[in-house]
Amino acid sequence: MFANVHRIGKSLLLLELLKGLRLTGRNLFKRKVTVQYPEEKTPQSPRFRGLHALRRYPNGEERCIACKLCEAVCPAVAITIESEQRDDGTRRTTQYDIDLTKCIFCGFCEESCPVDSIVETRIYEYHGEERGDLLMTKERLLKIGDLAEPQIAADRAADAAYR
Amino acid sequence: MSEDSVTIEVNGTPMQARKGQMLIEVTDANDIYVPRFCYHKKLTVAANCRMCLVEVEKAPKPLPACATPVADGMKVFTRSQLALDAQKSVMEFLLINHPLDCPICDQGGECELQDLAMGYGRDVSRYSEGKRVVKDKNIGPLVQTEMTRCIHCTRCVRFGDEIAGLRELGATGRGEHMEIGTYVEKTMTSELSGNVIDICPVGALTNKPFRYSARTWEMVQRPTIAPHDSVGSNMDLHVKGHTVKRVVPAENEAVNEVWLADRDRYSCEGLQSPDRLQAPMIKQHGEWHEVDWEVALEQVHDRLQAVIDRDGADELAGLAAPWATLEELYLFQKWLRGLGSANIDHRLRQHDFRDDDVAPAFPWLGESLVDLEHVDAALLVGAYPRKEQPLINHRLRKAALGGAAIMAVNPAAYAQNFEFAETCVVAPSQMAQTLAAVAAALVEQGAVAGDALRGLINNVSVDDQHRRLAEALRRADNATVLLGVQAQAHPEFATLRALAGEIATLTGARLGYLGESANSSGAWLAGVLPQRGPLMGTTPGPGLDARAMFEQPRRAYCLFNLEPERDCWNGREVIRALTQADCVVAFSAYDSASLREYADVILPLALYAETAGSYVNVEGRLQSFNGAVAPPGQARPGWKILRVLGNRFDLADFDYDSAEQVRAELADAITSLRPGNHHWQLPGSLPQAAAGSLERVTRMPTNSLDPLVRHAPALQQTVDVADGHAHMHPDTAARLGLAAGAHVRLQNDGGSVELPLALDDSLAPGCVLIHATHPDAIELGGWFGNLEAGGR
Amino acid sequence: MSESNESIELSAHVREQIDAWVAKYPPEQKRSAVLSALREVQHENDGYLTVALMDAVAGYLELPKIAVYEVATFYSMLETQPVARNSVSVCTNISCMLRGADDIVEHIEKKHGLKLGESSADGRIYLKKEEECLAACCGAPMMMVNHKYYENLTPEKVDEVLDALE
Repeated sequence: MFANVHRIGKSLLLLELLKGLRLTGRNLFKRKVTVQYPEEKTPQSPRFRGLHALRRYPNGEERCIACKLCEAVCPAVAITIESEQRDDGTRRTTQYDIDLTKCIFCGFCEESCPVDSIVETRIYEYHGEERGDLLMTKERLLKIGDLAEPQIAADRAADAAYR
Repeated sequence: MSEDSVTIEVNGTPMQARKGQMLIEVTDANDIYVPRFCYHKKLTVAANCRMCLVEVEKAPKPLPACATPVADGMKVFTRSQLALDAQKSVMEFLLINHPLDCPICDQGGECELQDLAMGYGRDVSRYSEGKRVVKDKNIGPLVQTEMTRCIHCTRCVRFGDEIAGLRELGATGRGEHMEIGTYVEKTMTSELSGNVIDICPVGALTNKPFRYSARTWEMVQRPTIAPHDSVGSNMDLHVKGHTVKRVVPAENEAVNEVWLADRDRYSCEGLQSPDRLQAPMIKQHGEWHEVDWEVALEQVHDRLQAVIDRDGADELAGLAAPWATLEELYLFQKWLRGLGSANIDHRLRQHDFRDDDVAPAFPWLGESLVDLEHVDAALLVGAYPRKEQPLINHRLRKAALGGAAIMAVNPAAYAQNFEFAETCVVAPSQMAQTLAAVAAALVEQGAVAGDALRGLINNVSVDDQHRRLAEALRRADNATVLLGVQAQAHPEFATLRALAGEIATLTGARLGYLGESANSSGAWLAGVLPQRGPLMGTTPGPGLDARAMFEQPRRAYCLFNLEPERDCWNGREVIRALTQADCVVAFSAYDSASLREYADVILPLALYAETAGSYVNVEGRLQSFNGAVAPPGQARPGWKILRVLGNRFDLADFDYDSAEQVRAELADAITSLRPGNHHWQLPGSLPQAAAGSLERVTRMPTNSLDPLVRHAPALQQTVDVADGHAHMHPDTAARLGLAAGAHVRLQNDGGSVELPLALDDSLAPGCVLIHATHPDAIELGGWFGNLEAGGR
Repeated sequence: MSESNESIELSAHVREQIDAWVAKYPPEQKRSAVLSALREVQHENDGYLTVALMDAVAGYLELPKIAVYEVATFYSMLETQPVARNSVSVCTNISCMLRGADDIVEHIEKKHGLKLGESSADGRIYLKKEEECLAACCGAPMMMVNHKYYENLTPEKVDEVLDALE
């Protein structure tokens, strides 16, 4: 009996509605967290795991030595590497493919790399329009590395103490 | 418990051991692992890595398990604190100078140092000084060195000394400056050199052609049988995707122990040769066309049927290589016999077929490979096992080191890796005389010879060497006479066989044959012979043998897995016969200009790693294997091609679904068949040498044996390939007025060639040695015979 | 260094010397004479060995070549690189060091313009790289010049000895 009266009273007085409006009112004057992507973007950690890149040494020599640890550690089997002895006697890749449709961006490849060659950059805005666009070849990965090198280097430096 | 047995206790468990055994042998036998680098069960104990230190009760310090003999009541602790501390400390020292280049090291993933560093190494090095660097030397096309990684276990040095019999690697310098190497830049020439790769516990010695092309964990291991010499070594193919990346030996004490000859190890490169045939081809109006199998087989049918219909089945001849599988060989003869031809053979390099009807069921070693280790005396006739069957040579070497007298009658004093008791160096035409002289010496020493033999030997002059040879054979309890590759290619093979057999009989020795190829024995059993069917079965009328089918040219030929002008005894005659034929069907894995010249239909063939099959080795052991990779392009396993051809010709019993079904028709009989080798026919008289200025001697160089090795690039860079030189004793060259570096013109009634001269004082005087298979010498025709020489 | 194709013969004198050494060992132990043989050969070749000479010794003693290289590179009294005629070794072990061996070495280095392990430009003096105790501590500091000991050295005495060398 008492419960019914209480319920009817609450409905008639629109208490629930006012409660909701109170929350709205409170947040109306608070700082906003929504960002206006793509004009605005959220901050990123130096450890951000985005698009992959292959790095080079400052003299232009590619870092990758075809040790294939990334290929072995990759849980999604997204990496394919072929290697050979280059004419100067060094161990080099002839093929380094990452299938981004398989990749789960776990970062193991980066972690396993003994020469900091394969890295995940902060780039995450990319797309593919047809099949094959998301199959990153060695050339494309090196290109990304060349373009993003300042940022990659800065991120490695920022995180150096924890590596 | 016998007298020489002791009981020791390892980690609290009592164990039986033989007196004199080393601790590590006992722990290994009982599955207790003691870490080690320098110890190898097939090598002597060096005890220089110190990794196997264990605690022994009452010993003040830890002792190396590999160099500590067991004693009764000994108490050993392999995992006690003292032992572990010692092992860890040793590991720390070993890692001081070892580079941290595991990511680019081919040994990474199968490295003993890497594995043990996981168990015994510290995670951080306490050593901050600079590491030692060793400059690399090129030691040849097969083994890659990276001596900075060396931990000085000296396994490779001991291998050279004890197994290869050829010390090429050594430890020079001392202390921190000690280096393993050849000191001077030098190519390793041992035919077993590849084994140092397997015994090296680190990545200091690695496989050169394989270098950097794959990592160990990417490859799948598939067992197979070695496709070259007649030992039938067990080995594993390491396959990545659809390519055989490398080959490693598989352990089989009865066959190859743990070793593998270089030829078997590196020939896998030939599988990926750019010359491999990808599709069937037919020649029409002088033009080659790639066609599909349907068309190609139709063509084979039509063209062969046309010849048979017009000229009869006797105008068809088939030659198969003794390195084809048992199944292929069996179906090949079944197919040709089905077509009505008996002109079938596999003895590409034999010239004397006189005693074919008395020949043994299949020529074999006459004993097991292991037995060879225990002979007291062996007489090799026209044999160079060191290069022809390296692992048979290894067994003979073990016997020789144990005191056996190994002797030879050869056209040259070949470089050996152990001491021969006697070597008669005689020209090929004198080999029969020499054997007769040995027989005569035996009779002199009291052996009782039959009339036929006595008639043959009564005019032979016997010298002291023959007497010593006879004496050694006669005195030995366990002796063997072995006919080698050169004897089997000899124009008087029947005589050599008979005389060798008589010598064996007079001395109570066994007579054996050293087969040349993987299936030299199997081809006899498969019935690829003109005079016999499979398993000694009878066959209608003897057909033409490998010599006669070219001397009496046929209208049609079927060639199975060979390059006839290089692989046959008389390349010149072969080309002549093939060129005039109406139809030549070649089952071949490789394309070549000469093949396109004479062939009409080429069917691309799968090679050993690409097909299921079996080989019968020199001791009659049947060993089967499965295909490990797919053949390139449209190439197909031989047994499949032959099966379809059989169906196409409407032959009965050709409905095989697998190689196993083919094998099943032979396997049981082969496993039980161990015929005597005592079959020969004594000729009426000894051959007399025809007058001539020079006698030709031919030897098959190790790495030119068959099409597969000839297409393996690394092996072709070694010294053991056909060099196209005319090798002569310096005296012979001087007699002909030739100086080193000159060119010599050699001719016989069929042709003439000009070859650069090479001096070689190991050769019998009056001889010129020319390597088989070299294209420059094909014009000279047969492997043996007289030549006229002139300078340029 | 590459494999030498030229083979050279040992001189009659050296062969005689080697034979004398070989005779001291059991006939099947010819290799025992390798050290003495190398010393004889080195002595005759102005104090150093060449690959060709080592090969000749290997041939004469019927040893694998590498076995001779191993011995030659192991022992510090055998030189495998061309060096000057006179071998000078200054002991730098503890007794000599305490008595000023380092100064002696420095003096020689400065005077003849060379470093430890080098030969002088005039081909006269070869200052050996390392020399440990030569068992003449009572006369420290000391040096050995061509197998002869000179003890209680001073820079003046060193000069006297070295200047007298040919």
